[in-house]
Amino acid sequence: MVALSLRGLVSRKLRTALTALAIVLGVGFVAGTYMLTDSMNKAFDNVFATATEKIDVTVTPKEQFDNAGTVAMSSEVLRRVQAVPGVEEAVGSISSSGGGDDSAVIYTKDGSEPLVRGGAPMLVVNDPSERLSPLDYVEGHAPRAPDEAALTKGTADKGGFAIGDTVRISGDGPAEAFRVVGIAKFGEEDTLAGSALAVLQTEVVQRLLDMRGEYTSIDAVAEGGVTPEQLSRRVAAELPAQLYNVRTGEQEARRQAADLQDQLGFLRTFLLAFAGVALFVGAFLIVNTYSITVAQRMREFALLRMIGASRRQVLRAVLGEALVVGLAASVVGLLFGMVIAPALRGLFTLFDAELPSEGLIVETRTIVVSLLIGTVVTVVAAVGPALRATRVPPIAALQDVASMTRGKTARWRTPVAVVIALIGVAMMCGGLFGGGSAGQAAGLIGGGGAIVFVGVGLLASHLVRPLALLVGLPLERLRGVSGRLARENATRQPRRTASTSAALMIGVALVAFIAIFAAGLKASVDDAVDRGVAADLVVQTETFQPVPSSAARALAEVPGVETVSPLRFASGKVPGQSGTLSIAGVDPATAADVIQVDWVEGDQGLLRTFGGSQVALSDRYADEHDLSVGSTFAVGTPTGREVRLEVVGIYDDNAGLLGNMTLSNELLARDFDATRDAVVLATTAAGESPDAVQSVADETISAAYPTVEVLTKQGFKDEQAGQIDQLLGLVYVLLSLSVIVSLFGIVNTLVLSIHERTRELGMLRAIGTSRAQVRRIVRYESVITALIGAVLGVVLGAIFAVLVTIPLQDEGFTTSIPVVTLIVLLVLAVIAGVIAAILPARRAAKLDVLRALAYE
Amino acid sequence: MNAIPIVTAVDLRRRFGEGEAAVDALDGVSLELPQGAFTAVMGPSGSGKSTLMHILAGLDQPTSGSVVVDGVELANLDDKKLTQLRRDKIGFIFQSFNLLPVLTAEENIVLPLRIAGAKVDREWLETLIETVGLGARRTHHPSELSGGQQQRVAVARALISKPAVVFADEPTGNLDSQSSAEVLGLLRRSVDELGQTVVMVTHDAHAAAVADRILVLADGQIVHDGDAGSADDVLDLMRTVA
Ligand SMILES: Nc1ncnc2c1ncn2[C@@H]1O[C@H](COP(=O)(O)OP(=O)(O)OP(=O)(O)O)[C@@H](O)[C@H]1O
Ligand SMILES: [Mg+2]
Repeated sequence: MVALSLRGLVSRKLRTALTALAIVLGVGFVAGTYMLTDSMNKAFDNVFATATEKIDVTVTPKEQFDNAGTVAMSSEVLRRVQAVPGVEEAVGSISSSGGGDDSAVIYTKDGSEPLVRGGAPMLVVNDPSERLSPLDYVEGHAPRAPDEAALTKGTADKGGFAIGDTVRISGDGPAEAFRVVGIAKFGEEDTLAGSALAVLQTEVVQRLLDMRGEYTSIDAVAEGGVTPEQLSRRVAAELPAQLYNVRTGEQEARRQAADLQDQLGFLRTFLLAFAGVALFVGAFLIVNTYSITVAQRMREFALLRMIGASRRQVLRAVLGEALVVGLAASVVGLLFGMVIAPALRGLFTLFDAELPSEGLIVETRTIVVSLLIGTVVTVVAAVGPALRATRVPPIAALQDVASMTRGKTARWRTPVAVVIALIGVAMMCGGLFGGGSAGQAAGLIGGGGAIVFVGVGLLASHLVRPLALLVGLPLERLRGVSGRLARENATRQPRRTASTSAALMIGVALVAFIAIFAAGLKASVDDAVDRGVAADLVVQTETFQPVPSSAARALAEVPGVETVSPLRFASGKVPGQSGTLSIAGVDPATAADVIQVDWVEGDQGLLRTFGGSQVALSDRYADEHDLSVGSTFAVGTPTGREVRLEVVGIYDDNAGLLGNMTLSNELLARDFDATRDAVVLATTAAGESPDAVQSVADETISAAYPTVEVLTKQGFKDEQAGQIDQLLGLVYVLLSLSVIVSLFGIVNTLVLSIHERTRELGMLRAIGTSRAQVRRIVRYESVITALIGAVLGVVLGAIFAVLVTIPLQDEGFTTSIPVVTLIVLLVLAVIAGVIAAILPARRAAKLDVLRALAYE
Repeated sequence: MNAIPIVTAVDLRRRFGEGEAAVDALDGVSLELPQGAFTAVMGPSGSGKSTLMHILAGLDQPTSGSVVVDGVELANLDDKKLTQLRRDKIGFIFQSFNLLPVLTAEENIVLPLRIAGAKVDREWLETLIETVGLGARRTHHPSELSGGQQQRVAVARALISKPAVVFADEPTGNLDSQSSAEVLGLLRRSVDELGQTVVMVTHDAHAAAVADRILVLADGQIVHDGDAGSADDVLDLMRTVA
C-alpha cells in the first residue's frame, strides 16, 4: 500500500509539488520566525552577559507601576553605595534611553539625519571606570575631554567614522559636535546588539540629557572575600526597597534577558500569526487538492476495494501519501526558514525597523515545531478526502468515473456550515464584547475569524453560481464563447471552485480588514486633530523623542509664530485600581490657544487658571470612578510619590488627545518626572499664512535640530497617515505569502480540472478552437475563481472590520471604507487570476489533439 | 455526380514509431472526394481508417504525401492556419459524441460558429434542428439526451458552419440500430438535400450501404474503390477483400 502511495506521488508530480510548496512556505515562515527571534535573543544575551561581566552588584531604579518608566538616581545614591562596607569600587553609569524621554540622537557623518531609525536604539553612555568597563578600545582611547567621543566599532563602520572625524550628537538641545578619539568593541561584539553607541564623559552625557548629577545605574565590585550575593544584600539594606532594585551582575543579566524575552515574544507572536494564516490557507489548498484527486481516483480505489483491500488500507494509502508529502515539505520548509529569517529581517529594515541579530540560530525546538506543524497540517487536511475515498463502493470500479466526480452535496453540509460560521461569529463577539484579557480577546477574535472562514468556505459552494454569474457575465459579454465556457467550467463543480476561491478569500479578507481598519484609524486621527487641535503648527521629532525645550524656545522667535505651547504625557496609577492612567500635561498660560477641549463641565477659561493640584478628567474616567467636580483622589507617580488631586473640570475625550486626565506641566515635572515636551503646538499670528510660517520655521529649527519637524495641521495628519501606511505596508507584505499560497491553490485546481477535461479540450481544438482561445478559456476561469474569492474576502473583511471597530467607536474611532483600496484589491485579484492561469493555460493549449481525443 | 474534387490526397504515407517497431498506418493512399459525395471507408481494425481521417482533416500530419482540402494545401499550414481551416471548412463527428456537458444542445450545435466569432444563421440553425429532430430538446444538456440524440446534436454541430467536407469516424459505433439508422439517415439527407460532402468510417455493412461509394483499406492501402450497393453486396465485398 505504501509503495502504491509513493507511486502515486511520482505520477502526479506537479500536483504534489504545488501541495508541498504551500507547506514549504508556511513552515518556512514559522521556522524563519523562530530562527530570527532566537538569533535576536542570542545577540542580546551576549550583550547582557558582556555588560555585566565585571560587575558584582548593580543598583537600578524600580519601575513604580507598569509603563511608569524609570526615574534616574541622584549622586546621593551613588555615595551611599560607595559607603557600603565591602564595596571596593562603585561608579555611576548613565545611558540615554532607547526611545522616548531621555533619549539621544547620533547623526550621520554629514549631520543631516539620525544614524539609525526605528528598532535598534541609539545610545549615548559614559564609561566611568576602566575596571568595570565592558568596552575594549581597539583604536584610540576613552573620551578624556568634554569634546571627545568614542564609538563602538559597529557604529563607526555604519557611519563611516574614523579617529579624528567629527560626530554630532544631541540630547535635550541642539546637536553638538565631538571629535572621535576611540573605537571600541563591546566584548566580542562590534556594537551593542545592532544599536549605535557613543561614549562621552559622564558630565557631558548628563548635560546632554539634562540629567545633571544623575545616574541610570550604579555598578559596584566587591572587595576580596565578599561574594556578590553578600554585597548585594548589604547594599539592599542601605537603600529603600520600593525605589531601587539591587541585583548581582548575573541576576541583572538574567533579568534583562527575561525582559527581552517578553518583548521578543511579542514580535514572535506577531510573525507567527502571519505564518499561521499562511498554513491555514495551505490547509485549504490541501483539502481541495486531495478532494479532487481522490475524486479522480475513485475508480482506482474501487478497484483496490474490489480486489480485497480494506477501507483501512485505502485510508492508509491516502494518508500515507499526505504524511510523506507533509514531512518532506516540512523538511524543505525548515531549510527555507533559513532564507526567510534574513528576509524578514531585511523586510523590517526596509520598513525602518532594524532588528539586531546574531548569526542564524536553529534550536531543536525550531526543528521539532516546524516538522511537526507542517506534517500535522498536511495529514489533518487530508483526513476528510481520505475518508471519502474509503466510502467508495467496490462496484464503482465498473461504473462511469464522471458520474462519481460530480460532487454530491450532502444534506448536512449547509446547516453545518451555517452553524460553524455562527459559532465563529459568536466567538469573535465574545472576544470583542466579553471583557476578557487582551490575550483572551485576541485569541477568541482570531480563532473565531478562522472558524468563520471555514464556515463561509463550506457555504461558498452555494455562492459560486451567483457570484460566477456576477463576475462572469461581463466577461461573456466582452469575450463571447470563451467567457461563457470559462464561467460554465467554474460552476461545474461548485464545491471545488468554492474551496479554491475560499483560500484566496482568507488572504483578501485579512487585507481588506486591515485596510478598512487603517482607513478608520487615519480618519480618527484626522478627526481628533480637527476637533482637538486649535493650533496652526505642530512640532515633533521624527524619532519619537521629546522636542528639546530649546527648540520650542527657538520656535517662539520665528516671525509669524504667536503662541507656543508644549504638551507632555505621563502615566500614573491610582492605588488599588488596576491599569495605568494616561495623563496629559498642559501649560496653563498658553494651552487654551492651542487645544480645543470639548468640556462637559468647565470651559476653555479653566485652562488659563489651571495649576497646582487641579485635575481635569475625561468624562468616561469620571463616570467609571464616580468622580465629579470637587472630588479629590490620590494618584501614584513614577517617582514613587503620591499626589492628591482635586477635580475642577470634566471633558469629553472623543478626540483621544488628552487621555484619562489632564494636569499642569508644572505638576508633571515636579512629581511625575515628565520634564520634556512630547509635542509642541503653536499658533500663527493673525494674517499670517500658516503654510508660509511653517516653511520658515521648519527650515530654521531643522538647521539646529535635524530630527525636529515643524508641521502644519495638515502636514501632521499626513505624517500620522504615513506612519499608519508604513505599518500597513509591512502587514501587507507579511500577508502576501498567504495570498501566494492561495494562488498555488488556483493553479493546482486548474491543472487538475484541465486534466479531467482533456477530451473536451481535444474536441474543442478539433472543431477549430485556437490555442489562444483555449488559453483564454482557462484564464477566464482562473479570473472568475479569483474574483469570487476576492469578492467574498472583501465582504468578509468589511464585516470583520465593522464588527471589530464597534467597541472602539465610543473611543472616537471613525469607521471609513477605503473604496479605492478595495477596488484595487479586486483588480489585483484579476491580475492574480491571470498569473495563476499562465501555467495551466499553457498546458491546456499545448494538448495534442489526437491524444486528447484518444484519452480515456 | 459532380466532379469537382473537394478533397484530394496524393500518395499519403504515415509511419508511427521508428526502426523495428515502425508501423506504416498509411502506405501510399491517393484519393479524390468529389463534392456532394457520400463516401464510406471500411476495413479491418488497424487498417489505417482513423489515421486517414485525421490526416485529411488536418488533425495529423502525413510522413509524406499531400492533402488539398477545398483548394488549400495542408502541408504548408501552421497550427493557426490549420485551426482556422478546421473551423471554416471541416466538420468532424466522433464515435463518442464529444459534446460539452456544460452547454445545451443548441449551444453545442452553434459552438463552432461562436468559436469562430461568426454570426449564427438562424434560418440554417432552425433547418438543422428540425432536420435532426431536436426541436423539443434544444435547451437540454447532453446528460439529458440519449446517445442517438447526442450524436444527432454532433451531426448538426458538424453541419452548422456549412463545411466543405464532414468527416465522421464510426459515428454509429456507440449506437443501437434504431439510433444508427437515424444518424445515417441524417447524413444521407445532408448529402442529398444540402449537397454536403461526407466521408464516414464504419465497420457496419448496413451503414456503408447508405453511402454512394465505398473505399476499403487494408494495411494502409486502398484495396477497393467502388460504388456502394446493398448491404449484402458490401458484406460480400468485405469477405473478398479482407
Ligand atoms: N499514435 C499512434 N502511435 C503509434 N501507432 C499508431 C498510432 N495511431 C495509430 N497507430 C497504428 O496505426 C495503425 C492504424 O491505426 P488506425 O487507428 O488508423 O486504425 P483504424 O483502421 O482506425 O482501426 P479501428 O477500426 O480499430 O479504429 C494501427 O496499427 C495503429 O496501431
Ligand atoms: Mg479507427
